[in-house]
Amino acid sequence: MVATRAGTGHPRTRKRALKKRTLKKALRAYWRQYLAISPFYVLFAVFMLGPVLFSLFLAFHKWDGLGPMEFVGLQNFRFMVKDSLFWQSLTNTFAIWFLSTIPMLLLALVLAAMLNSSVRFGGFYRVAYFIPNVTSIVAIAIFFGSVFANQVGLVNVVLQWLHVGTVGWLTDSFAIKLVISALITWQWTGYNAIIYLAGMQAISSELYEAARIDGAGPVKCFLKITLPLLRPVILFTVIMSAIGGMQTFTEPQVLFGTVDATNPDTGGPGHAGLTTVLYLYREAFNFNQLGYGAAIAWALFLVILLFTVINWRLIAGSGRRDR
Amino acid sequence: MELTRRRLIQAGLLTGAGLAANACGGGPSGKGSDSLAGKKMAIWVWDGCISMNVLKDGVAHFSQTKLTPSVIGGTFKQKLLTTMTSRAFLPSITGVKGEDMPFFKGTKADQFVDLNTLGADKLSSQYVSWKLKQATTKDGKLLGLPIDIGPCALFYRQDIFAKAGLPTEPKDVSAAMSTWDGYFDAGVKLKKAVPDSYLIDDGSAPFSYTVKQGTKLFIDENDRFVADQPHIRTAWDRAIKAMELGIVAPYAEPGSTDSNAAYNNGTAASSVGAAWHYLDLVQAAPKTKGKWRVAAMPGGPANFGGSFLSIPRDGGDHALAFEIITWLLSPQNEARTWVDNGNFPAAPASYSLPELTGPVPFFGGQKTIEIFAPAADKIPVAYEAPADAAVSAPFLSELKDVWAKKKDPEKAWNDAVSTAKQVAQREGVS
Repeated sequence: MVATRAGTGHPRTRKRALKKRTLKKALRAYWRQYLAISPFYVLFAVFMLGPVLFSLFLAFHKWDGLGPMEFVGLQNFRFMVKDSLFWQSLTNTFAIWFLSTIPMLLLALVLAAMLNSSVRFGGFYRVAYFIPNVTSIVAIAIFFGSVFANQVGLVNVVLQWLHVGTVGWLTDSFAIKLVISALITWQWTGYNAIIYLAGMQAISSELYEAARIDGAGPVKCFLKITLPLLRPVILFTVIMSAIGGMQTFTEPQVLFGTVDATNPDTGGPGHAGLTTVLYLYREAFNFNQLGYGAAIAWALFLVILLFTVINWRLIAGSGRRDR
Repeated sequence: MELTRRRLIQAGLLTGAGLAANACGGGPSGKGSDSLAGKKMAIWVWDGCISMNVLKDGVAHFSQTKLTPSVIGGTFKQKLLTTMTSRAFLPSITGVKGEDMPFFKGTKADQFVDLNTLGADKLSSQYVSWKLKQATTKDGKLLGLPIDIGPCALFYRQDIFAKAGLPTEPKDVSAAMSTWDGYFDAGVKLKKAVPDSYLIDDGSAPFSYTVKQGTKLFIDENDRFVADQPHIRTAWDRAIKAMELGIVAPYAEPGSTDSNAAYNNGTAASSVGAAWHYLDLVQAAPKTKGKWRVAAMPGGPANFGGSFLSIPRDGGDHALAFEIITWLLSPQNEARTWVDNGNFPAAPASYSLPELTGPVPFFGGQKTIEIFAPAADKIPVAYEAPADAAVSAPFLSELKDVWAKKKDPEKAWNDAVSTAKQVAQREGVS
């Protein structure tokens, strides 16, 4: 039908042709500019988009990394639903995220507020708080592993000296999560504090002056001015730390070493520190189940998506009413 | 944090992208490496794979080519696999870890050159036969020559044994603790005499080594799940018995600070392990030098680990690569690898060389070859399926729970079997 009408110049066809022409024209006119910005898109396509799409393809296959792939439909996902270790890994991930994010963001807020008030050596503190974030995570994990070692770790030695019972930091399933959370908190508090600080500095000082004239103290100023105006920044950090926390991997991987070649990356006794990403790594790269690993990755993607939506609703929801 | 994680996952997925690209292009195989043949040859090893001195001499010896050794860090198998997928830039020679051989042998044999076609069949008498079998496919292709083997032995603290009134000389210890029961009896005695000391450092060791002492693992030759059979149950019960006797040290992840401390402060009075385990002790507890001795493995010979040198199919000059491998793995050079790295030679001819027959200071001048040489002989050969490690993992995890968290042993066994069955099913084992 379109073919017969093409000659008569149907308005929609003409419009499309026009669009094509302008696109061609634009390409010819601006190819240098497109070329200039292309490296990012090319790299993104090759190293991000391609692998992401391929992993989706992979999730429906059984593949050991080389050679023919076998299409298995939803079998990987069916296994996952029944796989108690997968569910445990999700619970672990959430527990660790919860235990690390809440103290981390609260601490960061307090730190940022303190840095925002005119302290001496502000620049020094800013750098000092940020340093954990750029320290090698492997080094930190090894350090934490020694400090929290059950029998000879510094923490237990001090506890023993104080005649409080020792804690099985690297055996008890809750303590394991605490150690991993402490590590994450230590590493990321400064990072979030800097973000909050930037947010706080964007708040006009007139508001504080006006409040002070009206007799508001520093606590009231913080609660009534800083916090509400900081909401978008807080939302950003919550979502970022959710995305980061859902992908916790290196900490448990290094803490519970990989010496054991037959049973590596367990996440500690009882798999208590086995996060979902560590589990997918174990399945994909230790046990050569790349299809299953990809399926886990996509399940995790859905979880993060859901989680982000909930976060958004919870934190930004009240903000929507103001509009 | 996010970046590194993402990259890690990408690295794996890139494997796939590479394959897809290759499938589309249908390019000739290994064009990248072939064109370089004769000029440049790469050899991939990991840290501790083979003596660097031997490698250095190898580079000088084979002056007709530019041999470049690369020490590949991280997950070696994955990197090799990824490169094989791309079919380019493959090394002419690569190390293959013993634990990865079942995977390559089982499903990726076509990625390697059958060394028998290059003349390895004439050399086969040079290496212990059971190790060669580990690198031989069902249809008889030999995928690698062994760098080392891991004959197991009992490492013990002579000073603590003396304190407990146990036999102290290697010969007597070997005789008294030739069986697991004899070993455990000594543990009970030790516990009574020296309460702070435990005979067994790793709670899962009696399990994993009992399995290694058998001829059947978790999956049999016909790809059937046999992990719930008596041979595994016996091994399991043995580990549980040791824990119930109270002769196992408090939980410490192997290689962790706690485990290193246990070797230092005498919490661990003995440790079973492969010959290379001696390096763990040297590194963890250098101050205990001279206090350790080696005796025969309780329960009979077993092997743990030991790697190979292989020739990737797409890796260039195969004949020269084979020549280099045989040079690097001559009995003389394997003996040097033992001295430099602690990798025990797979070539029995080296057992009579001075590098191996001499006294070892860390073991108080004991001539350890007297223990290791007989241990390297008569190793039981078991079929190891590619999925064996994955199926065995739940047992080791559950055993760790019993050890670290006092989980009920019967419940742990049932959980291990049901999880292992699930894994087996996913891996396509019935």
